[in-house]
Amino acid sequence: MTITNFLVAFAIAFCGWALQTSVSGITRKTVARIQKRYGPVWFQNFRDIFKLFSKRAVTHGWVYDFGVMMALGGIIGTAMFTPVANIVAFRGYDNFFIFIYLFAVGMLGMAMSAVGSGNPLASIGVMRALTQMVGYEVPFMIIIIALINVESTSSISKLVDIQQASGWNILVMPIGTIVGFICLMGMLGKKPFDTYIAPAELASGPMVEYGGKQLGMLMIMHEVATFVEISLFVNLFLGGGVTIFDFLIKYFLVYTLTSYISNVLGRFKIDQVIKFYYKVPIVLALIQAAMLIIFGWGVR
Amino acid sequence: MTVLNVIVALVVAGLIAYYVTTINKVAGSYITIIATVAALVLFLVNGDRILANDAIGIISFTVTPLGWFFTVIMLVVYSMVSFFNPYWMKKLLYPASYNMLYLLSLAGTLGVFMADSFVVLFIFWELVVWSSLFIIPFGKSRNASVVYYSMSTFGSFTMLYAIFLLYAKYDSFIIKDVLAMAGNDPGVALAAFILIIIAGLVKLGIFPFHIWLPMAHGNAPDTFSPILSGGLVKLGAFAAILVSTLLPIYEAFDNQPKIFGVPILIYGLMVLGAISIVVGTLMAIAQEDAKRLLAYSSVANAGYILIGILMYNQMAMSGALVHIFAHAVATAAAFLAIAAVSYRTGTTKMSELGGMIHKMPITYIVYLIAIISMAGIPPMAGFISKWLIFQALANQGLFLIAAAMFFGSVGSFLYVFRPLSAVFLGQLKPQHKDVKEAPIGMVIPMVILSGISLFYGIFPISLIDYTAKIEKALGFENVVETSGLVIKGNNGDLHATLITAIFAFGFFIALAIFMIAPKSRKVDLMDTYTAGEFLYTPDLYHYSYSYYAPFERLYQKHPDIVAIYAGLVQRITDFGSFIRYIFFSKRPSTGIFWIVLTMILLMWGEKL
Repeated sequence: MTITNFLVAFAIAFCGWALQTSVSGITRKTVARIQKRYGPVWFQNFRDIFKLFSKRAVTHGWVYDFGVMMALGGIIGTAMFTPVANIVAFRGYDNFFIFIYLFAVGMLGMAMSAVGSGNPLASIGVMRALTQMVGYEVPFMIIIIALINVESTSSISKLVDIQQASGWNILVMPIGTIVGFICLMGMLGKKPFDTYIAPAELASGPMVEYGGKQLGMLMIMHEVATFVEISLFVNLFLGGGVTIFDFLIKYFLVYTLTSYISNVLGRFKIDQVIKFYYKVPIVLALIQAAMLIIFGWGVR
Repeated sequence: MTVLNVIVALVVAGLIAYYVTTINKVAGSYITIIATVAALVLFLVNGDRILANDAIGIISFTVTPLGWFFTVIMLVVYSMVSFFNPYWMKKLLYPASYNMLYLLSLAGTLGVFMADSFVVLFIFWELVVWSSLFIIPFGKSRNASVVYYSMSTFGSFTMLYAIFLLYAKYDSFIIKDVLAMAGNDPGVALAAFILIIIAGLVKLGIFPFHIWLPMAHGNAPDTFSPILSGGLVKLGAFAAILVSTLLPIYEAFDNQPKIFGVPILIYGLMVLGAISIVVGTLMAIAQEDAKRLLAYSSVANAGYILIGILMYNQMAMSGALVHIFAHAVATAAAFLAIAAVSYRTGTTKMSELGGMIHKMPITYIVYLIAIISMAGIPPMAGFISKWLIFQALANQGLFLIAAAMFFGSVGSFLYVFRPLSAVFLGQLKPQHKDVKEAPIGMVIPMVILSGISLFYGIFPISLIDYTAKIEKALGFENVVETSGLVIKGNNGDLHATLITAIFAFGFFIALAIFMIAPKSRKVDLMDTYTAGEFLYTPDLYHYSYSYYAPFERLYQKHPDIVAIYAGLVQRITDFGSFIRYIFFSKRPSTGIFWIVLTMILLMWGEKL
């Protein structure tokens, strides 16, 4: 473990942020064109973030600030473990469970900060976000545990290597990939799973009180988190990338697809989210796990 | 000092504490602090080389790494909680008995962990049950104590039956020998295993025996709830480990049909563990009282521990042992934080509190660290244990059990966050404007417990190495391996220190960004977005009651296990009154009938 590893890791996190901010800008533009609008410039999100950092904000106490820092810190930490094509900062230690649980540090930080603002709308938003988490995490983890079982490794970079040698997981476990994609939509909070933000009902839920630098940091956190989630999907199901361009194309396609789907759907209520996840994806996930573990269908 | 001396000393200290407390309440409670801390220091200094003196007749002890590990966990919990005792002396009805029973129950647990023979184990097991039985009604409810005792007795009787069964068969009480001999005889092994594991399940609070936990934990005095959850529940785990490793289960039940390579009986018990996780999680989410919520979370965590033990490989066992440690420390800290809040405000109902972070920041941080560990998030000890258990689950491909475990794991974010949100964050109630931080005597033990959680989350290697030692002593062929700061898993390595370093790195980047940007202006909590309304009552502007209402509604009409137990109680009551009607009737004719019948039978004699 040298200082180089840390620098590479930081570079991944930083470039991931820059990448995702640009990609989401491009998507905003294309979505606007589909809807016959002009749309903002592709670097609008960068503008927003830098504008927010120049503003003087309010604070609701120390936990309001500390939670924001914990959120951004946790998500940056997770992004630093993310393998991008053949660039892996900590080879062998990029364990799948780290992604789930280190990610949770960031989420906990944000939840804490939001509730610390004292606004009940933020509490309701956090309640919905956590409830939604129960929905999407369980099917996703079932798929991954089946994958780990048949490949005997939980290291993301090793799973990528295996896929590049002998076929992507989307071909080996198509049902699992569908479940993974539905869960990804939930993780990203894209419609129909944007219940916890729901601007019209909850005034943006957890984000209701934020402004200035705190909101800027949360926007950075959101972009980095999206980067981690999309990369995780690309690495787990689409074989990562042999080269960086390969990875970027897959990344762009997956994100654009989620955004387009999101733009044609309405919003679920929170109990509908849970009911949906415990009806369709979890059953599919169990079928896929049984196919892999019991029957050995699709095991290389 | 030997183990025997320590146990005798604790009993004597208990008696002294009783008499001192009758003279001066606070002085008596200081004896509990001194005795528990001294015992902890003694065990830590001597390590597991501490001598076991087996001089007194049938009472014999032996020190095993497993017993020492449990003893230290127990002593850490007892000694840290004892610092709270002086503050509760005024609130308790019988402070003298409380102090005595506190030390007696500790002596009992040490006896269980160090017991060499089943008789000693049983005697001390009962000592624990009886002493804790009398402490629980010092709190809010007598009924809780009755339920606790009935459940415990059921477990104790099955264990006693197993002990006599094994003695009749092998003419010995020595735990190691008897269980090893039983392991070669599948029939006896099956009976002994089921009977002893039931005692363990009852103590651990595994479904369907879990109902005593929320009642006892929720109603016990605030200072005894952490002992119950962090300490006494773990006795069940000890019994489960003992009986599963010494048989050992996978060899003894090799003739059974197998599911995923697991004998069907063991798989069935794992399913019970999985049900406990799901039931504990769902019930914890729906609680309104912080202590009952934590009690149900203990039910869920007992499920993890049981599954870890029953998977019976080096990763899972190590995971179970670390989880026992991590959960004991974390749950004790969480209960103590709630106790501190209760000391200052007089309630543990979440909807009656709010915004305590502005008055009790250290208690808040203690609770935060405790829940991070309980939810299994790095950099706390709870993450290490969950990672180990998940490794084993993934390796064995038990995906149905794993699904329940993931549900519990994500569900734990929901219920641990609730007290954080409802009690500590949000709007401060006007009646709590003058509340102060918990007194220093309470803050110190809470901070120490948080430090332990954090330390073993960052540097788990010494803990993992000790669990490897325990596994070696228990006769595992492979033990969990470490190299440097890395834990070697079946399908990946864990570098806990690196994770913490990365998180710290990320946090400092965030801190730097925060510092560079312009300073924020501090505003009041009520100065928030209200959609144009004018609000002046913080009480009404705090979201805390029925927190997860949309989720709770989905399982509101769940079948209640308590109803089944209530039905059972009704049957027994009916049977009792039937017996009374027949034998103890006030009508003279019934009495004469029984006398005549007895006379006839007596005269008939042996010819009958």
